[in-house]
Amino acid sequence: MNALRRGIRASAAGDIARTGKETVVRRYRFAPGFIGFSGHFPGNPILPAIVQVCAVVSLAEEEGGKALRLAAVRSAKFLSPIRPDEEVSIRYRRRVDSGEDICDATLSVAGKTSAAFQLRFAEEEIPG
Amino acid sequence: MPASLLIPHRTPMRLVDTLLSVHEGGGVTESVLPPTSMMADGEGRLDEVTFMEMIAQSYAAFKGYMGLVEGKPAGEGFLVGVRRLEITGRAYAGDRLLTSIRTGASFGGFAVVEGGVTRGDETIASGIIKLWLAEDGR
Repeated sequence: MNALRRGIRASAAGDIARTGKETVVRRYRFAPGFIGFSGHFPGNPILPAIVQVCAVVSLAEEEGGKALRLAAVRSAKFLSPIRPDEEVSIRYRRRVDSGEDICDATLSVAGKTSAAFQLRFAEEEIPG
Repeated sequence: MPASLLIPHRTPMRLVDTLLSVHEGGGVTESVLPPTSMMADGEGRLDEVTFMEMIAQSYAAFKGYMGLVEGKPAGEGFLVGVRRLEITGRAYAGDRLLTSIRTGASFGGFAVVEGGVTRGDETIASGIIKLWLAEDGR
């Protein structure tokens, strides 16, 4: 596991929960010293978009108990910046669409959606 | 030209090393991430999300260069959207990765950018991103 993912997991502020049958939810709080803020940007820390995506992948792996490969970001909208120490709620639902493992995810702060994206996972390894 | 002169990102979140070339509406950057990169696991394998940020930072470097030519400082930029980014390959710390970007459209501070990351002859990621760049040097 890389340092970014270790930092994300250490930033979990609650247990993994389920709402309904398929939706997974977890709260996070990214402290000012979180590695994902380092250098993005000096004096103006903002949670990078790739960290937000990585947090969903990491949560899905943790919840599912097995490694996943991010095969595609089908679509994504990053609507508002996430700052240090804000409580971030990550919510996702996985479904199979035409045989593909799709993950619909949102991040919200204080009940307001700050990002929404659709990912495609693959369990298989890429050769080479 | 070193990317550190063109974009406000700093280590460890600066994932682009050098702007290699510029052409009308785009350019090519080079990245070689060290084994100590926060994006590399114990085997040196880079996280798949890395490539999305390489495309975004490559565009920021291109815009930073264009701004430099006009005497403007590097401004902060934000990834605001992604469309159909496919990740079809893997990369490791120490690999020489080239990222090519081309401006598809731009309006105000927004730009739609087509980008691809290659490792040797292999394209390992490609897609379309949307960015917003501060134009006042913030």
